[in-house]
Amino acid sequence: MSSATGSAAGSTSEIATTVNGAAYRGSVANRTTLAAYLRDELGLKGTKVSCELQVCGVCSVLVDGRPVSSCTYLAADIDGRTVETVEGLATGERMHELQRAFVRNFALQCGFCTPGFLMMSKALLERNPDPTEDEIREYLDGNICRCTGYQPIIAAVLEAAAELRGVGVD
Amino acid sequence: MLPEFTLSRPADIDEVLRELNADVVPYAGGTELLLAMKMGLLVPSGLVDLKRIPALREISASESAIVIGAGATHDEVARHELIQAHAPLLVQVEQNVGNARVRSQGTIGGNLCFAEPRSDLLALLAAFDATVLLRSVRGDRTLAMAEFVLGPYWTDRAEDELLVSVAIPRPCPTGAYVKLQVTERPTVGVAAVRTAAGRCRVVVGSVTEVPLVVAGASWDDIDADGIVAQVEPVSDIAGSAEYKKHITGVYVRRAVALARDGAV
Amino acid sequence: MTEREHGVVGRSVQRRDLLEKVTGAAVYAVDVEPSGTLHAKVVRSSYAHAQLVRIDAEAALAMPGVVAVVTAEDIKDLFPRFGHIVADHYILATGKVRYYGEPVALVVAETLAAASDAAAQVEVHYSELPAVMSAADALAPSAPLVHDEAFVVSPDESFTAMAATPTADEVLERDNVAHEVTLGWGDVDAALASAHLVVSNEGMKFPMLYAYAMEPYNAVATYTDHQLDVISTAQHPFMVRTDLARIFDLPLSRVRVQVPYLGGGYGSKSYTKVEPLAAVGSWATGRPVKLVLDVEEAIYTTRADSAEVNVRTAFDADGTILARDIEMILDSGAYADNSPLVVAKAANRSFGPYRVPNLRVRGRSVYTNTSPASSYRGFGAPQGSFAGEINLDKAADLLGIDSAELRRRNLVGPGEEILPGKRGLDADLRADLELLVGSLRRDASNAQSSGIGYALTASDAGAFPVSTAHVRLQTDGSVVVLSGSTEMGQGSRSALAQIAAEELGVELIAVSVSQSDTATVAYERTTGASRTTTLTGLALQRACADARAKAADMAAEVFGWPVETIQPAPGGVLGPEEKFVGFGEVIMRWFGAAAGEITGVGLVRRDGATQKMPPFWECGIVGVEVSVEPDTGQVDVRQLVTVADVGFAINPHAVEGQDLGAATQGLGAALFEELVYEGPQLVNPNVVDYRVPRMRDVPAKIDTIIVERRDGIGPYGAKGAGEGALNPMTAAVAIAVGRATGKWPTRVPLTPERVWRLLNDLPDDS
Repeated sequence: MSSATGSAAGSTSEIATTVNGAAYRGSVANRTTLAAYLRDELGLKGTKVSCELQVCGVCSVLVDGRPVSSCTYLAADIDGRTVETVEGLATGERMHELQRAFVRNFALQCGFCTPGFLMMSKALLERNPDPTEDEIREYLDGNICRCTGYQPIIAAVLEAAAELRGVGVD
Repeated sequence: MLPEFTLSRPADIDEVLRELNADVVPYAGGTELLLAMKMGLLVPSGLVDLKRIPALREISASESAIVIGAGATHDEVARHELIQAHAPLLVQVEQNVGNARVRSQGTIGGNLCFAEPRSDLLALLAAFDATVLLRSVRGDRTLAMAEFVLGPYWTDRAEDELLVSVAIPRPCPTGAYVKLQVTERPTVGVAAVRTAAGRCRVVVGSVTEVPLVVAGASWDDIDADGIVAQVEPVSDIAGSAEYKKHITGVYVRRAVALARDGAV
Repeated sequence: MTEREHGVVGRSVQRRDLLEKVTGAAVYAVDVEPSGTLHAKVVRSSYAHAQLVRIDAEAALAMPGVVAVVTAEDIKDLFPRFGHIVADHYILATGKVRYYGEPVALVVAETLAAASDAAAQVEVHYSELPAVMSAADALAPSAPLVHDEAFVVSPDESFTAMAATPTADEVLERDNVAHEVTLGWGDVDAALASAHLVVSNEGMKFPMLYAYAMEPYNAVATYTDHQLDVISTAQHPFMVRTDLARIFDLPLSRVRVQVPYLGGGYGSKSYTKVEPLAAVGSWATGRPVKLVLDVEEAIYTTRADSAEVNVRTAFDADGTILARDIEMILDSGAYADNSPLVVAKAANRSFGPYRVPNLRVRGRSVYTNTSPASSYRGFGAPQGSFAGEINLDKAADLLGIDSAELRRRNLVGPGEEILPGKRGLDADLRADLELLVGSLRRDASNAQSSGIGYALTASDAGAFPVSTAHVRLQTDGSVVVLSGSTEMGQGSRSALAQIAAEELGVELIAVSVSQSDTATVAYERTTGASRTTTLTGLALQRACADARAKAADMAAEVFGWPVETIQPAPGGVLGPEEKFVGFGEVIMRWFGAAAGEITGVGLVRRDGATQKMPPFWECGIVGVEVSVEPDTGQVDVRQLVTVADVGFAINPHAVEGQDLGAATQGLGAALFEELVYEGPQLVNPNVVDYRVPRMRDVPAKIDTIIVERRDGIGPYGAKGAGEGALNPMTAAVAIAVGRATGKWPTRVPLTPERVWRLLNDLPDDS
């Protein structure tokens, strides 16, 4: 039996998903991207879109913990999966170590690329809690920032990684 | 903006095979397909999602080969212990495909089926003498890379066929892969490997329409100038044909030098 | 710089806007969607130059969800053009199209998908015309005209005061020259003829660039009952308001332009872009209309002027500059936009910051059938300095003088005029040069195939000084600042809060800053030319002084104190016998209730400290060390050093961030970035093939030096920052590559292939 999704017309799919810990259920057009679903259906406008070619990294979110370009990822594909966006990073009033390190290090200016950088950095630190500067450069090379010149971002990720490991920074 | 399309999620390969046709196409990571659809280059009426078929993501080893399910992502290939143990050069290449998101979304099968000429994997798998397994309701076919990739964005896969897996004969060759990459895809990529039988093989990719394979009994038999004479690159935004020929020579020499020194 | 007499300014305080931005809560224009909003998609020209024969929209109109298809015919009763210098820019192509990608029709529908699907169904019939795709083609005798009618340049002093320009009512010839400037003095020909050495660099090519502000242009417009509300990605909301009011013949007060956080600007969001399209969409349908461009559309909306520059410099035997002769041709694309000012600034910035006793500069901005060029960070300066600074290094070698020494001998000193009658240099470039070269040479690798390059620029910055600011003191002593300057990432919201807190002696946390809403905040002419800290800062200081004076008057009245006995104090006033009364108490006493406020107003115009143009000189002092891989031509930047001669850093970390960011964009232009036309259209209108700097490109050593000599006219001696480090970057990298290879580059970006060609003396005319 094919678990064919959607109506007879076939242009929509039924999904049940968890976004930032909240459950959602509903119908989405197959052509709807995850970025559009998050922004327009769920009102989670923290996720931005820029190049639409998976190159700039602005729209990065995590699906089942893995980073994806939400501009080129079908909303229908989050059925049964868990999505994390920038809005889910903080725990209540307490910002995530990465968020605080980005602010401290002036690792953003206009901030448009920042949600993507934060989510990619989270994915990096989850697989590699103690990355070297070169490993950070390699992993985040697919994210573009046009404001900062990147060095403050590298510093922020290193600092957040140390905090998350409990090493602390002076 | 994506066009409209139907989307199905078969539970196993047989269901996939019943659905595929000229307008209904396999869909996995979407890193190539969805972009082509956004740009209007491809307008399939339906996508068949392969991501929820575990069999297509399996990576296994037999006496004679490492078999990688076509639905395994680049990241899964790079992090799999069998690949790390038996094909470290593939690990190195897979760690540098696209960017971290492309590696976590894109699959090895999608990469091969799209047959984008500027692909690291096309060159490396040709160097590995890999084969691909195609399946349809009509039966199975096993093709060598050179038989499978016919030209830019053109493979021998029939519309009703599914790329099921890639097999790399064991023991996997060792050697080196080097590339010049300024933008998102390599301008030239060169694999230089020594096969289990002791043959030296050089494969030049990205700069040519399909990978160019040259082999010899020893590294001294690899004639970089001869390879440069054989490649016929086209001038484009990534470089003139003249420059691409020049760097082909540079990277062939670099790859051979590394392989001679016994790189992975 | 450890001794600071200030409490709040001069410290790297945490930027409050960053907190909103890391949580995803910060609102950008693209996030705004009023209820009932329709979505628009632009139908664009598929020809570079063609008569519009017919637009067939019936099929599109019949599609589900489509509300309207707006074409030039529908808006002919409006003023259908915009442009703040030359109003030549049609909202929708009228009669003919002038570049591939020009808006031809606007499809408005219930959803973006419906608008997008329908846009593909609008049939546009063209009759192709011969096109001019380069400045050389456009200047050829009997070249096809991009514009058949001539437009007169704005006579407004805010434009003419910034550059040598033709008189306002000069009738322009019918050619493809959008704007021409000449600048100079002395007898250049005589100096060239008698000089010890004349050094030429001919045909120096600077590429078309794309700023790639990551939030593409977008706007949502609501037109109802002679009122137009627009929320958009505009750096200069007040100037956009002027264009919109003219289009619809509305009072300025009935046009409201709001700009929330901006996802990058870098000059590329200066002036009017997509606002008229969204506005006519709403005007035609009576509902809010949102238009969001994609990156490809954004590239076709605005790029930076490419340039070809010739420079000749005459020297004495000791290296003293005797004369410079510079010709620059800018390819400005199909519409003038800001290019007349860009070419004027390019001329002003092309020869200095050196003493040039005999000067001749001719600059032309040329119309071509390519995407329109306009402002981009530092505009005009990188184009000229690329040629001019290589020219100096080439001369240094020929003269046998160290290139730093050659510059030292010719640099304009503090207070000295660069342009006659203009403000003298408010910087000490010789001292800055020592810091720069010291850092570079200290860490030089001296490896084979490596080279050091450095370059300097001085830009007449700050634009035309019209700035206003309001401060509103509240009953609890807190402060609201109103400014029309846009927060686009540069940190103005934070810097203005620091200035207000300093001036009023209140805690930083008690200050909030509202910006860029033409209906509610104080007027600001532009957010560009690095002006905000200096000019808006000055206006804000004056607003704070005004508020303090009002508080003193009110205190005098309610407490019966002689007004001359009242002294300012942090957070309030001091009466006789040092009696302190806080602002809040003054307000409540005066109003006789726990209510009311004091509004302080600060105004800046061409008067007093800001009489002389430019308001300040923004200097660029940068250097790099590169290594070149000889067999591939790949360039690796090992060192990057910038000197920020900013007078006073209100927020030092923010200044460092501006400089590193600007320098990194400059590295992009030097090494990778170039829009390439092939036939009528671009081959790389996307971020895949238009490569911008990535994290892996970050140099191993970065040294951002801040110099504070309090020599600016802004608050506490501040001058603007933000463009300086970009301006000479291309030159510095090209010089470093020249030093590494022994060959002087003639064009950028220095892609691996270009450097390989340079190394091997192969022609480079791609």
